[in-house]
Amino acid sequence: MRTLLILLSFTVALCVTAQAQTVTGRVTNPKGEPVSFATVRVKNTKTTVAADVDGAFKIRAATGQTLIISAANYATQEIIVQNPDNISVTLQVQEAGLNEVVVTALGQSKSKAKVGYSTASFNNEAITRASPISMLDGLQGKIAGADISTLSGTPGGSTKVVLRGYGVIGGGGNQPLYVIDGIPLSDALFNVAATGGNGPALSDYGNGMNDVNPADVENITVLKGTAAASLYGSQAKNGVILITTKRGKAGKMKVDFTSTFNLTEVGKLPTYQKEFGQGWGGTFILSENGSWGPKLDGKMRPWGATVDNSQLIKPFSAQNLRDFFDWGTESNNNISVSGGNDRTNYYFSYGNVFSDGILPSDVDRLQRHTLSLRTNTTYENFSISTSLNYINRNLNTPAKFSLSPFGNDIYTQLWQLPVDIPVKDFKAYNNKFFNVDNYFTPYAENPFYTLYENGSNQKSDRIYGKIDMTYKFTNELSAQFRFGGDFTNARTKIWNAVNAPSPGSWNAGNNVEGAARRPDIGSYQEQTDYNSILNGDFIVKYVKDLGKDFSLDVLGGVNYYQTQASNVTAAIQGLTVPKFYNLSNSDNPPTSSNGYAQKRLIGLYGQAIIGFKDQLYLTVNARNDWSSTLPIDHNAFFYPGANLSWIASNTFNLTNTGISLLKFRAAYGKTGADAAPYLVYPTLTQVAINQSNIYSGMRYGTVTFPFNGVNAFTINNNIGNQNLKPIITKEIEVGTEMRFLQNRVGIDAAYYDKQTEGQIFTVPIAPSTGYTGLVENIGVVSNRGVEVTFDAMPVRTNTVTWKLTYTFSKNWNKVLSLTQGLDKVIEATDGLSGGIEFDAIPGKPIGQYLSPYPVFAPDGKIVVDPNTAFPVQAADKVDIGTSQRDFSMGLVNVITIKDFQVGFSLDYRKGGVMYSGTADLTLFTGNALATAYNDRKPFVIPNSVNMTTGTDGKPVYTENKTVVTEANFSNYFYTNNNKALAYPMRLIDKSFVKLRDVTITYNLPKAWASKLRAANLSLTAYGRNFILWVPKSNPYVDPEVSNLGNDLTSEFGEYGAGVGPTTRTYGLTLRASF
Amino acid sequence: MRISNKIVAYTTGLVLLLSGCKKQLDINHDPNNPPVDEATPQLIFPGAVMSSAATIGGEYAILGMLWSEFATEDAFSSQYRNLDSYSATGSDLNTNYGELYTGALSDYQLVLDKSVAAEDWNFYLMATVMKAYSYATLVDIYDQVPFTEALQGVANLQPHFDAGDVIYDSLINEIDVALGKDFSARTNSDPGTADFIFGGDMAKWMQFANTLKLKLYLRMVNKNDAKAQAGITALYNNGGNFLTEDAAISTFTSVPGKQNPFYAYNIFSLNTTNNLRASITFLNWLKENSDPRIVSYFGSPTAIGIHQGDFQNTTDPTYANAATFVQAPTDPVQFISGPESYFMQAEARERYFGGDQAKELYDLGVTAAFNFWGFDASGFIAPGGAYEYPTAGTFDDKLDAIITQKWASLPGSHALEGWLERNRTGFPKSSPVYSTDPSWVPGEFVIAKATVIGQNYPKRLVIPDEERSTNKNTPDQVPITTPVWWGK
Repeated sequence: MRTLLILLSFTVALCVTAQAQTVTGRVTNPKGEPVSFATVRVKNTKTTVAADVDGAFKIRAATGQTLIISAANYATQEIIVQNPDNISVTLQVQEAGLNEVVVTALGQSKSKAKVGYSTASFNNEAITRASPISMLDGLQGKIAGADISTLSGTPGGSTKVVLRGYGVIGGGGNQPLYVIDGIPLSDALFNVAATGGNGPALSDYGNGMNDVNPADVENITVLKGTAAASLYGSQAKNGVILITTKRGKAGKMKVDFTSTFNLTEVGKLPTYQKEFGQGWGGTFILSENGSWGPKLDGKMRPWGATVDNSQLIKPFSAQNLRDFFDWGTESNNNISVSGGNDRTNYYFSYGNVFSDGILPSDVDRLQRHTLSLRTNTTYENFSISTSLNYINRNLNTPAKFSLSPFGNDIYTQLWQLPVDIPVKDFKAYNNKFFNVDNYFTPYAENPFYTLYENGSNQKSDRIYGKIDMTYKFTNELSAQFRFGGDFTNARTKIWNAVNAPSPGSWNAGNNVEGAARRPDIGSYQEQTDYNSILNGDFIVKYVKDLGKDFSLDVLGGVNYYQTQASNVTAAIQGLTVPKFYNLSNSDNPPTSSNGYAQKRLIGLYGQAIIGFKDQLYLTVNARNDWSSTLPIDHNAFFYPGANLSWIASNTFNLTNTGISLLKFRAAYGKTGADAAPYLVYPTLTQVAINQSNIYSGMRYGTVTFPFNGVNAFTINNNIGNQNLKPIITKEIEVGTEMRFLQNRVGIDAAYYDKQTEGQIFTVPIAPSTGYTGLVENIGVVSNRGVEVTFDAMPVRTNTVTWKLTYTFSKNWNKVLSLTQGLDKVIEATDGLSGGIEFDAIPGKPIGQYLSPYPVFAPDGKIVVDPNTAFPVQAADKVDIGTSQRDFSMGLVNVITIKDFQVGFSLDYRKGGVMYSGTADLTLFTGNALATAYNDRKPFVIPNSVNMTTGTDGKPVYTENKTVVTEANFSNYFYTNNNKALAYPMRLIDKSFVKLRDVTITYNLPKAWASKLRAANLSLTAYGRNFILWVPKSNPYVDPEVSNLGNDLTSEFGEYGAGVGPTTRTYGLTLRASF
Repeated sequence: MRISNKIVAYTTGLVLLLSGCKKQLDINHDPNNPPVDEATPQLIFPGAVMSSAATIGGEYAILGMLWSEFATEDAFSSQYRNLDSYSATGSDLNTNYGELYTGALSDYQLVLDKSVAAEDWNFYLMATVMKAYSYATLVDIYDQVPFTEALQGVANLQPHFDAGDVIYDSLINEIDVALGKDFSARTNSDPGTADFIFGGDMAKWMQFANTLKLKLYLRMVNKNDAKAQAGITALYNNGGNFLTEDAAISTFTSVPGKQNPFYAYNIFSLNTTNNLRASITFLNWLKENSDPRIVSYFGSPTAIGIHQGDFQNTTDPTYANAATFVQAPTDPVQFISGPESYFMQAEARERYFGGDQAKELYDLGVTAAFNFWGFDASGFIAPGGAYEYPTAGTFDDKLDAIITQKWASLPGSHALEGWLERNRTGFPKSSPVYSTDPSWVPGEFVIAKATVIGQNYPKRLVIPDEERSTNKNTPDQVPITTPVWWGK
């Protein structure tokens, strides 16, 4: 239908011809150097050429016509043709300012002057300075109001991006919308739940946004606010990240080549105590998995299993855990070919990534190939641009959770090594002392076994692209049709080897503790995922000067958006032939499942911008959406927005004040968002009974159907809601942009106040209702915040420039209310019954930790139970902190000295706590630094009392004298026994300062470059994340990590045994243009 | 303005197109799960029964193993330390409580509704019996639970709790109503393979119903002996007709997901397989009586045990060699076992019929319990045998014998019953000293070494947090040392 409209539109064609001659000229900068490939256009015509490498151009133009000369990073200039020969054009270097064009909602380019809300833009150089393989990793700490975190040290892992705080309580939905060249880009996580279950995803296969090749990106613009994004509708309630890809430019063919190679090493590891060795309860025990033994004395001792009447010996002294890790390597190569003429431009690129992480073996490895082809064609009044991108990805990634009883994850094994056990010896995991039978402890598995025998792989093919056509009916009126899609197919395999200690062996119970290790029965799982987005827009635009003071800019459009996701999983549990991974290889029948989800949305929208005297711009916009995921009779929602921009520096004459730009902005926006599919109607589900905490991923005692050849269904435990309403986000934003001293200093500040209402959440309800959850619109979350970006150029001479950018953001987050009767919503737990909860509580920031906590006497003394020697646990859990940060700030410096450029950036995030699974396990095993407390001598908990009930029924407090004995020492640090104190030990301050990157670039002299026929040649040495400062109270992990996805639940921290360490990177990049 | 007219026309066309799009947007019916209207008794009942089995025969059985002193926590593992030290709080066993309501009881209710509509009295009786069994278990553990206002979904999000005796009376009444239905009606369907317990044999379901009533009446002897007597007398007047074999799911296999739920939890899923070690309380009783079942339960006639709740003792050199409780993935989950039926009948005969036939029923019980493991009990129950019925003894001696023998038949998925019956009868007896004391008598219960509730035994669980935190009508917390309504 829409295509037909476009075809109809061809019937109206306009053609302009003029009396012309050949005009020649040259474009230079103020230093007299050529501006290569500048664009030269004859005003009010389509005649466009590109200058050559030396800045020379030839164009057909009549005398008296105006030439418009533009080039990246230079101010556009107009020149009237008088003499056709040797026109000399000097372009001025353009600093950030008003003339800048920004991409706004729906991919519409707009002069920044007209924009009444905060935007932040980054060009390719800023994105790729330290050669990341994920396009947003280079912007960490560089955008005020954006929290960008890398969630693990594993290649291909997920990145989390949150703009202006968390607004959505339930079910994720806090990620921004990614739009690439006007088409939404899927950010789906192709995570795969553990075999046969519905627990947390087993491995992190990365999020969709990370697939985009950073080398292909021309520009990233971040629209943080609702006001800026509301025209995008439902998907954009958390802001939009607009990606503009590189395109060909008219002129001769240009080849760009970039090659980078780096080494990665393990970053922060938990700091261990170095005083006590293997054992438990103060006793040396050969088969223990903890460091609760005697003091390390350096003396030679036998260790491990007795095999063939022999035993190994080693000194009883601390070993280095770093020995476990390897150097990782990563190479990333990109080549692009681009060019074109005045009608058609093309851009083709190919990039690859080969990355192998810090774990020995190839259990952590990413291979990625990206291909892109883009064209732009203009024919008379019709222009068409296309983009086609293909990504092939092959990722191996280790499990993030224990897979009991099928196999194991690596970090659970690693943190269970006593400090004196030499990890690197275990690499020979088939050696008779370190194999399945005789590994030193039955409580864990040789980590190298896990590394080499278990793993997962995901191969994916992704195609995204678009076709975008514009027809100009007149200079004022045009119509645009854009259609695009994003299609991914991913195939995942997960394998776990089968093993069992041989009867009579050390780990079958023939050890000093008589403990037997449960066999790994092995498993194999395959999953195929398909994901697609289809998006179409038809937009009509009308631009008109209304007399000498007013301008009008109107657009209206219709949007069609559809997503589909499907998956098929099959798995076997228990292998017949060891190490043979095929669905046929089990005595047990394979289990399989599939899922399908579809949603569709239709939107109508309009926007008008009224300008007054180039100084005041008012934008009003509105959109109405119809969504398939809402009840069919109430599926429409409407939301308006408006923003105002006032260029005060155009209103007043500020020439002598040192103020080069003064702009004020104000905006109000509203967006509605629909629900996830299938939350409306009641259903049955196939029976699968788990006797476990749903958050833990551990499935104890599972019974599944069909059973005995009989299938069975049960009423879905979640009650759907046939009155479901959309989520509405409203935001008010005010801000200012000021530039001083010929643009050398600038400030951009914004204040916003955002409320997200009617959150869709499955509220836990009493099981006695027959259900566990009720889908409801609940609660209001408020985010208010301040964002400041300050930039300056303290030094600007012909040979030296120094630019710095400082960003500051602070967000006040608060859950204003929940549904009546609901005093909290549990977002996540540590998986232990009665342990730590991560909650949304009215009146507090979203993401509050409730922990078991001691009872205190009125004088503040801690009440200890004389039976246990540990504090009495308070009846209710206590709120002991928030995951929300106090503030974040970043500092970027770029110093150019002749042909050298040095840059570094710092990222500081202050405040907030997180749960650490690494802390949990290392406190349990006695490896954590904290466990050396009091030199492990028996102690009475300081300032403690016992409580008894007096004759009058009132509590009586007496001094506590019960000693935490040596045998009980380890229990002090463990949640099974000392609940009240041990749980809070697992919550740590997540403040950090990171030296994000340091780069040194040398632009090789032109003379050298030209010998290689290159226009530019540069070499960059870089380092990423190699300095990390954390508070002393966090001796455990890099606080950025999480293995709970990339939305709100990830703020909980690292779960299970944790994600393991992040990495430090050192590399070299060569860039060449021909 | 011809062009503008065109735009207006196009836009109008698009709006018309959109208004025809309602169908395009009606795609929100979950393709992954059938609509609730598709439910039939055959489709729902098997999963509900399995839910009862997986909870009562799963984690609740682990609680039963420890609190019946069949087993105790290993000194070098830590999985059940909180239970073995009686520090069970509102955060323990939440999942099983929730599963019973949402996976079993709500589905039994759906089966009842559907079978009433279809006049399918076979499923009606089956669902009634299983509902009563499951509710009674909740009452036995938690004392009060929501009943009259439960299972109503959004219609009542804060159900009131009902007193245990009221629930018991209602359950008995519901069983009577179900037993009174017309089982020859043409509308009845054959449950066949959808009945994991009896394969659709309705005669056995009637036995199950009667035996369950017997069990419910016996539970109330401390509280309302007259009602118990009247009810039991009525049962006998109706011909008795009690179970002679297990009401159990016995078709578990070694396939993951199809295993005995207690095995699947305790052996298959955990890091180490030896959390549950032989408790000296039970082990030494078996040894003292040279009971051959010691091999069935603990693998060897010379098995070593751990004193109840002594898991903090890592220095006793024998503890590392203590026997692990023997389990197999194919172990059954018994709701009421054949031996249990005989023991209950023996108690009833002893209480209300002057002991008539009590010895015979007791002997049948012991014999069936031994037979289950392939052993012959005849020497044990013969005169002079270790388990000879104390015909000449007092009522308490007889009850002691009946309940102790019942207790000895329960380890495994049926272990919860051992703790419940002790709460009701006080048998096996409590020892005044710990089992390390030379004067301790094997088989007498001792308070766990690691007790956190002082010198007391746990008699109930507190209402799980999952209910308390979402239901404002949850009663105030009662200490776990307080007996439930029928308790002693």
